Amino acid sequence: MDAVFYDGVSARRRAVALTLTASSLDIHEGGEWIASWPVGEVRQKDAPDGVLRLMREGGQDLARLEVTDPAAQAAIRRHCHRLEAPEHRERTGRIVFWSAAAAISIILCVLFLIPLMAERLTPLIPVSYEQRIGKAVDNQVRAIFSGKVCEAPEGVSALRILTERLRQSQGIDVPLDVAVLESKVPNAIALPGGRIYIFKALLDEAESADELAGVLAHEVGHVVSRDGLRKLIQSSGTSYLFGLLFGDVTGGGAIVLASRYLVDSAYSRDAEAAADDFAGRVMTALGRPAHPMALLLKRIEADRDEDKKADDGNERGIPAFLSTHPVTDQRLKALEKLVPSQPGEPLLTEGQWRALKEICKTS
Amino acid sequence: MTASPSTNVPLISQPSSMSFSGRRGEFLKMLVAGSLYQIPTFGFYRFWLTTKLRRHLWANTRIEGESFEYTGTAKELLIGFLIALAILAPLYIALFVLSFVLEEKRAFASVPLFLILYVLAHFGTYRARRYRASRTVFRGVRFWMKGSGWAYAFRAILWDFANLFTLGLALPWATANLERYRMRHTYFGNVQGDFSGTGWTLFKRGWWIWALSLAVVVGSIVLGVHLADTYPEQKETLLGIIPFLALFVLGLLWPLVMAIFTRWHIDGLRFGDVVVASKLRVGTCYGLFFKVLFSSIGYGIAFALVFGIGSAVVGMFFQEVLADIQAGQWSASAVVITIMGAVVYLIFLLGFGVIQRYFFGRGLWAAIVTTTAVTNLRSLDSAVAAGQASGVVGEGLADALDFNVGI
Repeated sequence: MDAVFYDGVSARRRAVALTLTASSLDIHEGGEWIASWPVGEVRQKDAPDGVLRLMREGGQDLARLEVTDPAAQAAIRRHCHRLEAPEHRERTGRIVFWSAAAAISIILCVLFLIPLMAERLTPLIPVSYEQRIGKAVDNQVRAIFSGKVCEAPEGVSALRILTERLRQSQGIDVPLDVAVLESKVPNAIALPGGRIYIFKALLDEAESADELAGVLAHEVGHVVSRDGLRKLIQSSGTSYLFGLLFGDVTGGGAIVLASRYLVDSAYSRDAEAAADDFAGRVMTALGRPAHPMALLLKRIEADRDEDKKADDGNERGIPAFLSTHPVTDQRLKALEKLVPSQPGEPLLTEGQWRALKEICKTS
Repeated sequence: MTASPSTNVPLISQPSSMSFSGRRGEFLKMLVAGSLYQIPTFGFYRFWLTTKLRRHLWANTRIEGESFEYTGTAKELLIGFLIALAILAPLYIALFVLSFVLEEKRAFASVPLFLILYVLAHFGTYRARRYRASRTVFRGVRFWMKGSGWAYAFRAILWDFANLFTLGLALPWATANLERYRMRHTYFGNVQGDFSGTGWTLFKRGWWIWALSLAVVVGSIVLGVHLADTYPEQKETLLGIIPFLALFVLGLLWPLVMAIFTRWHIDGLRFGDVVVASKLRVGTCYGLFFKVLFSSIGYGIAFALVFGIGSAVVGMFFQEVLADIQAGQWSASAVVITIMGAVVYLIFLLGFGVIQRYFFGRGLWAAIVTTTAVTNLRSLDSAVAAGQASGVVGEGLADALDFNVGI
């Protein structure tokens, strides 16, 4: 039986003759014995169709024997019973099992461990750090919305008055920095460190100071309970872990992602309910009804549904805090229950409210 | 093996032709099955798939009937990926903290930090090449590489800057220089590799494409500005159409670039006295390009049809469930439908990956191999085995950083 032998030491092609015995495969070159491979140690390696490429397990690592004669191949296949090394066979089941185990462990971390970590870590971070982080996120948010903050002086001072009244009612000592941002999405967001943005579209939709004050109080509630920071920790951890799972460990600019997340997505149901509750307490303490805020949200939601019907499925960015739970009807009911024991004076004068509505007008 | 092991060696050796004997169906079957396996394994199967595809390609690539062998294993790739994670995880956290410090000053101030990852990516590609070379065996002797990944990364970055400042004019010299570094550090046993291609020859063959693409880019900007001034009311439409057209023209040039570059590249490869020459035709590259283009479009349409019908059916029978999902209520059937949606989406993406790898991976490989001729192959008879199988960190880094190194 003719074959070609490569000894693994040089690239020389050696024409050899093979003889098969019960126990070994003997290799002769020009009548001279070169090597004997025990049949149990002969293994098959990758080769094109029609070629049987062999190696010896435990022998010279790269020594190869190539057999092209079909009769010789058949004889070798008969004698060498361990051509396919069992330890090299692919065990798909095992791969699937361990991949699933890794994925489930990461998903469990995302669902339970990371929220727990965010919960525990948030109180440990000093307010000064939170403000610095908030500044970084703020820069991002401004970059996303091309940074147009409305600055008509009368409007700004009216907004400040409103904020101060809310602050005094509950004796809040965290720093608050409220601004109106030029945007077509009716939304409001609270960033870590006390910056609150009311988007212009929301302000346009508001029909009374109480409606806006409710929304603002709700966002202040997020600031007081440091929901933004908690969310940031949680979303960074989540994106990091998913990055590990899907092989992109760089996270692709995690801060950009995290900021976007903060803008685009909602807080947890509990955090929303707590913020609503906080808003209710603030408003009743000021002697104002708490439910107008929910009316405003309902109106925006109705607008959105109309838009959706109008251009069929072409959804505009759903304002995050509308897509949260409890859904608006439930929120309305909960807030309607909160009635002030004695009515207080309006939060803003007619003139101040008008000035605030026109905060984005440039003179 | 058809060539008989004769000893009648002609003194002046004829060029030996290379051939590719892998069957299309076999490759496609492996590719489709492997891609589907990636779904239940959350992508981890990619190491096994890549290894299988490489083994197939290597084993079916022949010079004078003698074929290569790929000795790498999937487990090695997996370990490389895990090592890369160990390197990158702390780095990532450090970058994250640093980026907050910098972002406080200005938005996107942290972007330069990602240059670190870009250096690592260059390092990774070099080390990945080293891994693949040392897992390539021909005639019982392995290829292997010397050279430092960091030194290579340093050169590559300098050349990247040169390319940037000359608007790509330096590209031929950059490519020639880097390939020379790679090839001179590549060995077959004790036979050192070399690269004889020069930047100048590549420039002569391709300068007009460079000039043309520059003209297309500049021209489209000028045209866009001019038209926007003339028809201000159509500005939005123009802004959408013109860059698209420019990209389309550049896309059409791409197969040409690929053909010119590949020929020049193969023509320059040397191993001792072994000389390699390529006859790759531009038409072949265009053929592959249009195959990818049209099969992607066809796949997209077919998928959209199937998806449309499927979702109509789902919509009819599972209306309540869909409403639940929209309202954020996670009933069991909502979870099932969501997972099904995710799987469908993954199949959609994987399909394009299959098309890409089938034509640009296997197709291009086969086209290059069958048009390549090797002269003085006999000079390798005296090659003596040397070098070691090198580590797999580079492949892991390249994989983790999503820096595609091909098949």
